[in-house]
Amino acid sequence: MKKNALKKLLRHHDPYDHTGTDQWFTEALTANAAHHATHCASYEDILKQFECDLSTIQTVEDIAQIPPLPTVYFKRHQMHSAPLKKMVIKATSSGTTSGKKSMIGMRYKDLYNGFKMIWKLFKYHKLWSLKRVNYFIFGYEPTKHVDLVNMKSANGFTYVAPAKKRIYAMRWDNASGGFKVDLDTMKEGLIKAAKQRHPIRTIGFPAYTYFLLKAMQEEGIALQMPKGSLVTIGGGWKEFYTEAVDKQAFYDLVKQVLGIEEKNIIEFFGAVEHPVVMPDCEYHRIHVPVYSRVIIRDPETLEPLPKKAVGIINFLSPMNQTTPLTSVMTDDLGILHEGCECGLKAPWLEIIGRVGMKDIATCAQGAETLLNKTR
Amino acid sequence: MILYQGIIEENSQLKTRLASLKDDCYETLNHAHPLETDWVIQACNQLTQKIIAKQFDHIIQPLLTQYDIPEAHFKHYLKMFSQEALEQKVAFELNPQSMKTTTDETHERKLYPLGILFHIAAGNIDVLPAYSVIEGLLAGNINILKLPTGDQGVSVTLLNALIQIEPRLKPYIYVFDVPSTDQETLLQFSKIADAIVVWGGDDAVKAARVMATANTKIIDWGHKLSFAYASLDASDTDLKALAQNIFSTNQLLCSSAQGIYVDTRDYAELDRFAERFFNIMKGMHADYQPVPLGIRSQHTLELYYEQIIQKDTQKTIFKHREFSVVACRDQRLEPSLLFRNVWVKTLPKEAIINTLKPHKNHLQTASILASKDSYHSYQELLIKAGVVRIKAPNEMSYTHTNESHDGMLPLRLYTRIVDCVVPRNDLNHKK
Repeated sequence: MKKNALKKLLRHHDPYDHTGTDQWFTEALTANAAHHATHCASYEDILKQFECDLSTIQTVEDIAQIPPLPTVYFKRHQMHSAPLKKMVIKATSSGTTSGKKSMIGMRYKDLYNGFKMIWKLFKYHKLWSLKRVNYFIFGYEPTKHVDLVNMKSANGFTYVAPAKKRIYAMRWDNASGGFKVDLDTMKEGLIKAAKQRHPIRTIGFPAYTYFLLKAMQEEGIALQMPKGSLVTIGGGWKEFYTEAVDKQAFYDLVKQVLGIEEKNIIEFFGAVEHPVVMPDCEYHRIHVPVYSRVIIRDPETLEPLPKKAVGIINFLSPMNQTTPLTSVMTDDLGILHEGCECGLKAPWLEIIGRVGMKDIATCAQGAETLLNKTR
Repeated sequence: MILYQGIIEENSQLKTRLASLKDDCYETLNHAHPLETDWVIQACNQLTQKIIAKQFDHIIQPLLTQYDIPEAHFKHYLKMFSQEALEQKVAFELNPQSMKTTTDETHERKLYPLGILFHIAAGNIDVLPAYSVIEGLLAGNINILKLPTGDQGVSVTLLNALIQIEPRLKPYIYVFDVPSTDQETLLQFSKIADAIVVWGGDDAVKAARVMATANTKIIDWGHKLSFAYASLDASDTDLKALAQNIFSTNQLLCSSAQGIYVDTRDYAELDRFAERFFNIMKGMHADYQPVPLGIRSQHTLELYYEQIIQKDTQKTIFKHREFSVVACRDQRLEPSLLFRNVWVKTLPKEAIINTLKPHKNHLQTASILASKDSYHSYQELLIKAGVVRIKAPNEMSYTHTNESHDGMLPLRLYTRIVDCVVPRNDLNHKK
């Protein structure tokens, strides 16, 4: 029965119906943990070390018992439930300030399940389209030289609507053997696209998108992109935690320079260590889809916290059968909220910032300051 | 912000000022009245009085809060800039008596400033850049200061206040807010300077070495590591005093104890010692301001990771919400996780030199927590290994007036000894 739980989860019509999927999720998650424990000795050891008995996990309330692995573990250890040669994707994260990268593997069936998840989610957010679009990718041009998960997801995304053209911000330069940032070509491309009838879609790191649009604004450029154009951003706002760029300022900038309305700006939240894509809603809130559950843990004791409390974000998901990403503890602090004007019942996640930040003095104060900043 | 001969300007003036910097420095050497130490001392003394009179509270109070510096400590440090203390410092470090030649009267020996110093300041404490310049001034030098990234303007305010008090300091102070990545500008500064005074970690020191031309000196105040050395019978009083240093400095200073070496080979004894220290910390933590949440979260994750890999490392972890003590199985001298996370390692007396000597020039303060009988033998070994300060546990980060800096006398390093033959006529005249 448990084996079918993931299938049922993926088949469920509403990708945000937690209540209706809690039981399947729990079963799929324990089955995923059991799969990794069978195929990966070090994962089995960790379950034993934390005295985690999977058979006692019966309801969604129990899933916190599965010991979360901190992202730093994936950065310092390779951990897989399948031989490397069987993996179709061996993705690394783009690295953190420490410069260390996680190595995450995926097999064909993970990709297939991922596709089913994306199908449901993109359908919900009305992202599929048959109209040809011009893609502007604020990310890396695909190349055999480098293996980055951002590159793969950005490139994969250019098939969501058929591509007329793809322009990359970071292009491989054979002469230097590295990537070169080429925002001028992007700028010229955008100016040209505004005069055409095909909608555009921009994809990629918000930082690069922001810098280009800011430069265009300073040059006095104000375009009107064709109807149906979308700005999608992913790769996190982490570059902005220190820059303190207000999200609203970004939305206003997009409207001013590209003539694209705020409701057509979609942010995707994701992490290489967490195999679930999370598009934001029209109120720019990251609702947790059914393929994932989020536990906010006490920053000192790691015990699960109630809603609205600031803590360390723990993602749980049964979506990867190659690397034990069953329960992953991120380096981010966040808050889980309930209730949103968009009508979705699924809880939404607010990202506060990386651990190690000095300016969060207390839970309450930190949340308040940062909430004020983002509003 | 730029401070150029007493004028505060926007960074946009950088190019213009860079173009004239060398000529202006040389002009000072050519025509200005040589900088007299007394001008600097009097100006510092007056500035100190103003700070005591709370005229600078708008910049000082936020600093004290940010770094959790008790008022009493601050007053102690402030005293170091009083006329009396600075006169003592100059007399001690530049001691004119020591320059007297005893052999004959045909030569005179005197100390002169190196000339032009280029200070690359570190960002860990906001007043440090100004302090570095003051030392440069006391030795009579022209000072070019590169502010650390993220500087809040405290240094420019203080140095400008000095100039307001003593305008003759104007041609001796140049402050620039140049990022570390602007190598070209930094190279220009170093070409002008006789010496680069660099504060910061190994990377900053290495970068300065690369930047320096063959005829530019490097004077480095690099990062140092400090620790405690304890015998198993260390007293509770000593351990409490050490905990006080750890809580009050958050282990952020070069002189803060990062961990404790214990004179034992026995891991069970080490664990018992670690637990004892953990319990002592537990009894004291409530007296100190809590560590920021973001930092605590980071430690929770690091210690959780340590817990996961515990079967490989065999470390024993004692964790509290606010602090931790980890008994390790290696002997490596390393920074702690900072903010009240202490490592405890075995280091039998016989292994002190072999373990610590490889960390040459990185060692700074040690406190010894042991009975009188063994204290001196520990001290001798630690000094041979390279330690430059032995302090009481609660005074590890306390600096006395006239103390050396990392075992050196800065004013001496900022000066040169000049031997001059006394012209024959003068000699005849003397006779």
